[in-house]
Amino acid sequence: MRALTPYSFIIPALLFLGIFLIYPMFTNLLYSVERVDVGGLLTGVTPFVGLQNYQHVLGDPQFRSSVIILLIFTATCVTFQFIIGFLLALLFKDRFPLSGPMRGVLMVPWLLPMVVSGTIFKWMLQLQNGLFNYVLLSAHLIHQPIAWLDDPHIALAGPIIANIWIGIPFNMALLLAGLQSISPSLYEAASVDGANLWHQFWRITVPMMRSQILAVLVLGIILTSNVFDLIYIMTGGGPVNATTTVPIYAYQSSFVFYDLGSGAAATVLLFIVLVIIASIYIALLNREEVRS
Amino acid sequence: MNSSSTPPLEIMRDLGTNVAHGKLSRRTFFERAIALGVSTSVAASILAACGGSGSSGPVTLSLWHALALPDPNIDQLYKDFHSAFPNLSVQATYYSYNDLYTKIVPAAAAGQLPDILNIDNPNHQAYSSQGILADLTSKISSWGQASNYYKGPWSSTLWQGKNYGVPFESNCLAIYYNVDMFNAAGLKPPTTWDELRSVAKKLTTNGVYGYSMSLVKSEEGTFQFLPFLWQSGADLSSLDSPAGISALQLLVDILNDGSMTKDVLNYTQQDSITQFIGGKAAMSMNGPWQLPGLKKGATFKYAVAPLPVGTQAANVLGGENWTISKTSQHVDEAWTFIQWTQGVAELTKFDIADGRLPTRSDIAQNPTWQNDPYLSVFIKQFPDAKARAYGPNYPKMSAAIQTAFQSALTGQSSAAAAMQQAASIVKPLLP
Repeated sequence: MRALTPYSFIIPALLFLGIFLIYPMFTNLLYSVERVDVGGLLTGVTPFVGLQNYQHVLGDPQFRSSVIILLIFTATCVTFQFIIGFLLALLFKDRFPLSGPMRGVLMVPWLLPMVVSGTIFKWMLQLQNGLFNYVLLSAHLIHQPIAWLDDPHIALAGPIIANIWIGIPFNMALLLAGLQSISPSLYEAASVDGANLWHQFWRITVPMMRSQILAVLVLGIILTSNVFDLIYIMTGGGPVNATTTVPIYAYQSSFVFYDLGSGAAATVLLFIVLVIIASIYIALLNREEVRS
Repeated sequence: MNSSSTPPLEIMRDLGTNVAHGKLSRRTFFERAIALGVSTSVAASILAACGGSGSSGPVTLSLWHALALPDPNIDQLYKDFHSAFPNLSVQATYYSYNDLYTKIVPAAAAGQLPDILNIDNPNHQAYSSQGILADLTSKISSWGQASNYYKGPWSSTLWQGKNYGVPFESNCLAIYYNVDMFNAAGLKPPTTWDELRSVAKKLTTNGVYGYSMSLVKSEEGTFQFLPFLWQSGADLSSLDSPAGISALQLLVDILNDGSMTKDVLNYTQQDSITQFIGGKAAMSMNGPWQLPGLKKGATFKYAVAPLPVGTQAANVLGGENWTISKTSQHVDEAWTFIQWTQGVAELTKFDIADGRLPTRSDIAQNPTWQNDPYLSVFIKQFPDAKARAYGPNYPKMSAAIQTAFQSALTGQSSAAAAMQQAASIVKPLLP
């Protein structure tokens, strides 16, 4: 009995994980190898179809295009969020007048609901009366208004801009915490040795921040790959399919066409890729710990 | 008694339902029975069959809908119903349009559907075929009012010869136009495709587009595109016919003339009317639900014209239907509610108060609509309004059509190639 006592303490946590994570993930995995349509959901008869859903999804040109769109979206967003977030973190590392309130204001995009941000950006990017075109035209940077969200060749730029804006505070906050953990004595010693700021950045800041940088990048990739609401609100995946990423594709399969099996297969494929990325991160992290 | 054609037992059964729902006292019920020459023992057995010993407990009917909020008139409808049937009340829950339809199927699978569902009519057949909804065929045939409804709305409640609901509201589209701009240019509202194109072009000036509509990648876009397809004489089975291609080509031409902004690809119908109210568009293809907003917002003179005619007149039918879920424990009570809302007096009162168009042609003769310069334009087009009744695979067909008009309007493919691509997807899905 006594040996069981410790286990009883972890029951709440286990229940939480079981109900909200393991069960849905398992169900999703199960759906991906079954034919699940509305009739099946109602009757509970969802026949096993092996890898048929995966074959269907992988053979669907629209899925392949959604993978490419997702890659462009994620790579661009993560790169810019990271660079801008890092620069801001370097700025706010040192205290200066009003640095506290300014840092607070910069967190606002992270706190706003996606629905609000998405709607506001959709308005600002309108062809006719949008703020972006108004400013660019007034400054004579462009001569014709840009069809930000209506031209399939550039429509992805809209959600990318909005998502970068949203993601910067997250990057900044995590990197700032890392920067503040580096002992000032390292920089002092370096400047005594004659290292300039450029050298200090590459020889001290970056190596000392390696694990934070890795964490920010991996989390950024995972969070960005799963962005759904922002794109759904701004473009709904259009025009044509120019902004249909894998999550939008999965949503469409599952809840517009009620082909829940294919929708589940698409999310499982995305999940596998993200698990691989996360495993590489963990492996690198372990190596890091061994080295230090 | 006035209803000489109805057999007495039938009348007693109806009265029995009223007793069961607390609308009629048992005493009155038996008095009527005697008046009709029905023996008290037969009357008592009818009453028992109606589940009405008069003491059946109160029933609360749950109802889901995606109708715009707040709507005091529909709240009043529920209240009036409760006054008429003190034992019955309605508990309505609102969901946003998309939420409602992503919720229905999982809720059906979990046996959690409400008693009554108010659903958009293009989705109706899908739910009927999936077995989510209660079959109301026998109730409706004994009610005997089906022939009073417009054909379009009624057809959307049918699936494979069975009836799964009753229209709640119907609407269709028309061209809103800015009378001041038309007068200044000396123009009349367009009546044909050619006129639509030329009038739109003439009205396009700096900062003002001649024409506006919604061609967004959602059902709203399909809703606005279909009238043109049907006006061309084509249908979903003939998207790639020369007629079908000409419908899309017309919109491409209007866009390339510069008479319509590329923003229409991301405009909802609300966005389109906002441009119109803001004086940025001289015409907007839109529905009657925009009238209250226009009355409040427009600072210029506006009017409504019927849709232009291609090779034939055609319009699209919008609106919602009342349905009852198959899993409801209170199908009879839910039907009592629906039937009550469809009574001539109740329906007329509600439709007028709420600014909705009648679904019944007998009610549409009411002078309130016939004399209204705006609403009468919509009502007169009802006979040409087609329902999106293409079976359970309609969402996939709609998505293919959206891809077609969006790729042609963005110049990714020609109108012909876009329609051929859509036709190859749609044809195998047709019922």
